[in-house]
Amino acid sequence: MTVTPPPPAAPAPPPGPPGPSPGAVAPQGGRGLPSPFVAVVGYTLRACLPAKRWWGVLLPCLGAVLFGWLATVADTSAQRAFAFVAEQGLFGLVLPLTCLVIGDAILGADVRAGTFGFTWLSPVRFPTIVIGRWLGGWLVALVTLVPALVIATLVAGVPEGVGPMVIAAASGSAAYIGLFVMLGVMARRSAVWALAVVFLGERLLGSALSGIAQISPMWEAQQVYAGLVDDGDGWRLLREGTPNGWGAVVRLATILVVTLAVASWRLARLSPTAGDE
Amino acid sequence: MTATPEGTSPALPPPPPPPPPPPPRAAEAPSAAVPGPPPVATVPGAEGPPVPSPIDPAFVPDATVFVQQASVWFGHKVALTELSCSFGPGVTGLLGPNGAGKTTLMRAIVGLLPLNDGQIQVLGHDPHRERDVQRSIALVPEDEAVPPALTARQLVRYTAALHRVSDRSLPDRCLATVGLLEVADRRVGKFSKGMRQRAKVASALVTDPRVLVLDEPLNGADPVQRVALIELFHALGDQGRTVIVSSHVLHEVERLASRQIVVIRGRLAAAGEHHAIRDGLADRPRSVLVRTPQARDLARLLVGLDVVRGVTVDGQTVVVSSQRAGELAELLPRVARDAGARLLEIRPLDDSLESVFRELLR
Repeated sequence: MTVTPPPPAAPAPPPGPPGPSPGAVAPQGGRGLPSPFVAVVGYTLRACLPAKRWWGVLLPCLGAVLFGWLATVADTSAQRAFAFVAEQGLFGLVLPLTCLVIGDAILGADVRAGTFGFTWLSPVRFPTIVIGRWLGGWLVALVTLVPALVIATLVAGVPEGVGPMVIAAASGSAAYIGLFVMLGVMARRSAVWALAVVFLGERLLGSALSGIAQISPMWEAQQVYAGLVDDGDGWRLLREGTPNGWGAVVRLATILVVTLAVASWRLARLSPTAGDE
Repeated sequence: MTATPEGTSPALPPPPPPPPPPPPRAAEAPSAAVPGPPPVATVPGAEGPPVPSPIDPAFVPDATVFVQQASVWFGHKVALTELSCSFGPGVTGLLGPNGAGKTTLMRAIVGLLPLNDGQIQVLGHDPHRERDVQRSIALVPEDEAVPPALTARQLVRYTAALHRVSDRSLPDRCLATVGLLEVADRRVGKFSKGMRQRAKVASALVTDPRVLVLDEPLNGADPVQRVALIELFHALGDQGRTVIVSSHVLHEVERLASRQIVVIRGRLAAAGEHHAIRDGLADRPRSVLVRTPQARDLARLLVGLDVVRGVTVDGQTVVVSSQRAGELAELLPRVARDAGARLLEIRPLDDSLESVFRELLR
């Protein structure tokens, strides 16, 4: 084949000696590019969370610390004050809002922006994409939301609650992000749907109906904390008819698996581009 | 990697030989079997079924992409209607006005868009349902959506990783091929439109695709880059890859591809080599420009011919309009001799792809 060399300012020919076929599959353990799963996680961290999204993540985290401080000014024991703050502020507001920002960004926003095609047009399986995106989002939550909730616990003067809070925040954010990933590929206005699920479904209906609370990341995360923390003062947030402690962790893991499975199923039927011609 | 010693080829090696094509339709036959100009089927105005032809030029014998009765609609808006054609190795142009269904067809070919009816097969597989065939497909989309936070290198490396490319240097070579290596660490969100298109081309090349679908790939590129990209696409086609290119700049499509698929209002309007398409529009008048110092004498004789529909004279230029261009071509030298006219130039005025396209739109 003969191709006329382009002018200097034009796209240049590739340098370097001939190499192996680029389509070849990397051998296991070879020095290739990252595996598709690692690439998806890396893409999630690099591309899905622009500066605005980071502000959207960090502001609720700052709010969490303020909630912790708020618990110190209440005229009651630190445990009781923090229990109230945790129920209303940390698990009822900070956890869902932060996870909404993250969960929507890592898939739904990518689909809406039209950039998901770069991932879709690959041989990577949909569950790999969904799990990779979820993992990227959860890593963000682990380095932002979980420390913020731990700091809030410490600021509130409840050091014995740190361990349970870590488990509650980590498991709760895992399930929440899975839920919002699922909503992101199921609904066009996924953020609106997510807010409706959180505030109408979980907070309103979940307060009254145990059946809703049992499948609610908000309530179950709270029950993880309530079940694991030492409650010498009897201020526990335990709710009857709802799993707590490690049982709630299992429930949150179940929610996570179901939401990621639904998201993978939906992704296979998704048209990643709108018919906008 | 098949770079020539001069290093002038694209970064990619030729693809492996194509698999057996899908079973051809009854009307199909190898075009090489028929001597003479390429056949053509035209549907002026995109109304009605294709004109029967001994060989259906909408299909190629060595098809890698097979579109059969493809229909896509969005609510009440019909984007594609029972469109059937095929694409084989080499460069094929996809033409049509805005809203004709080109982008829809391209998205359906790569599997991004499911069909409401009909089927598309790429290398014998359904691109929307079978993920494995995505190893062999790449799309350069028209829209400007790119992950703005990624650098060009990160974007190309990401695509390479998804396709399990083992050669770590290939992303940079592909960036060099499209002239973006020096700015590879700049974020694509800060790129101009042309640079974004080239970044997407590099991202497509890194997957070593056997079927490359390019939707307006020259948008925003400056003239020098256009020339280089056109050469690149030609080279990819020469390697045996199936390259499908759409562009609204018709003279570029003429340079890009000899075979054209014309889509109008979601239907196949014409297919084949663009001169053949023009010839197929036999009932349309064609104009020929003749330049001669004896323009008035020549025009006087031409108006008396049955084949001539109209003549206009402007200085040394005579423009002859005829519905029987072939007969006019035979008669013109004799008439010129009779008129004592010395012919300085003869050229068809409406043989360009643009004029063909204009005719098809009528």
